[in-house]
Amino acid sequence: MKQTPEFDHIQQQMQPGVITLEGFLGSDKRNLIDIIVEDEGTVRRHDQTNQAIAERMQYFRDAGFDGLGEFITLDENFDVRVDSVRGKLPSPFGGPGMYEKVNTTVLNKKINKEITFTDLHIHFIKDHGFYQGKGSSYRLEPTDLIEILQVAPTEV
Amino acid sequence: MLSSLFVSVSVITLISLFLALLMVIADATVGNYGMARITINNDKVLDVEAGRPLLSTLKSEEIFIPSACGGRGSCGLCKVKVVEGGGNYLPTELPLLEKEDIDNLIRISCQLKVKNDMSIEIPEELFSVRQFETKVESIRDLTHDIKEVRLKLIDPPSIEMKAGQFIQFEVPEYELTDEAVYRAYSMASAPSETDVVELQIRLVPNGICTTYVHEHLKEGQDVSINGPYGDFFLRDTDRDIICIAGGSGMAPIKSILLDMAEKGSKRKARYFFGARSARDLFLVDEMKELEQKMEDFKFIPALSEPQPEDNWTGETGLITDVVHRLVESAPDAEAYLCGSPGMIDACIKVLSDLGVPQEHIYYDKFA
Repeated sequence: MKQTPEFDHIQQQMQPGVITLEGFLGSDKRNLIDIIVEDEGTVRRHDQTNQAIAERMQYFRDAGFDGLGEFITLDENFDVRVDSVRGKLPSPFGGPGMYEKVNTTVLNKKINKEITFTDLHIHFIKDHGFYQGKGSSYRLEPTDLIEILQVAPTEV
Repeated sequence: MLSSLFVSVSVITLISLFLALLMVIADATVGNYGMARITINNDKVLDVEAGRPLLSTLKSEEIFIPSACGGRGSCGLCKVKVVEGGGNYLPTELPLLEKEDIDNLIRISCQLKVKNDMSIEIPEELFSVRQFETKVESIRDLTHDIKEVRLKLIDPPSIEMKAGQFIQFEVPEYELTDEAVYRAYSMASAPSETDVVELQIRLVPNGICTTYVHEHLKEGQDVSINGPYGDFFLRDTDRDIICIAGGSGMAPIKSILLDMAEKGSKRKARYFFGARSARDLFLVDEMKELEQKMEDFKFIPALSEPQPEDNWTGETGLITDVVHRLVESAPDAEAYLCGSPGMIDACIKVLSDLGVPQEHIYYDKFA
């Protein structure tokens, strides 16, 4: 699929060494728009929206903050820890804000699966439907997020 | 048809080659800034090759400015006051600077290139920062996700530091990084132990340095560090002390307490350490030993979610609640905090409620 010059520029910002050492695309050579469209399809097949997934991530992030850096039990089935490492990152999509490196780790005890995401991930998914390229160490699979965070089905 | 296509491709190829050649020539001539003079604190003068970022230029002169992201412009830690010769602010600097920084001529040294003579100001203590070649003396698990790493200093063989300060750990190229990167960690060892640097490193999922330490680092391996850095250290006063930490935030507090014990400090000190359950607690015996050695010190671990098998009889609840419960009023105290920004902010609020003056609250925030 053809993409706009704006997306070409954003994709350039996502290359290794521009904002982060590894970049955001991994080994994925596709256009950014194709990466986003394919993931959007996956999300829709699960009767979900990017917005619903991001809201659920934000819920865990906000609730976990009360643990002051340690794991806390949430809603019986979840262990959540929100902690930080030094540094801030700008978004490759632009905008004035910087995102602190806040990590939210969620363990779903019912299925014994864990996932970790950052504030930048939440922004990517909520505002751009971007889960990162295949092969990126920081890519989040939409299906993992839906399963582990138990995102409730929404009307698409 | 085929011949016109061939001509078009050839013309485009020739134009591309010409442009590439122009870029190479421009890089070698226009991009060659020659030598530049950097005057530091109106005193020390360095003659350097211009064209590189200020941070790496200073590093090559063995002047180390703290940087947690290794010069990628993401941590905003490598701030330097540039009095003259800095030129205009770059778009990559502005998100990392407050208005107050700009008013005070502060620049992000990893983004600012040395292009001409400059006059800069840096804290005098940075002149004592050194690069150290070390060997891993021991690694042990403190909890399921925190390791203690002890580094024996080889060259130079000793370090002069204040309890509470931090170093930068160099991670070499490995599967998660194509180049060496630096990450900052507080030292847990006492300043008197000059030939060793002890670190406590908690595993961060996908973290470049923490994954390296937890999964690749072995005893006997060589490691480069530089330091010491930081203004988080024990103030020389008679005030009572309240320390609060959680997880690997234990490191600088341990160093401060060891230093106090060795110096025979008579100050009243209370150390509140928060963990979720017993498996997240560590160095409890060492802290109890310090209670015996120090005149007026108490270690108060608290569990936010003790498990039945923990048989826990100590304090429970979030560490902020425990501090609020056990400290009645502390207008004459000073506080030392180490942990995540959320934990620090919550502690500052509680301590302020207890009357601890803001200017006497010192913290090492992981942000």
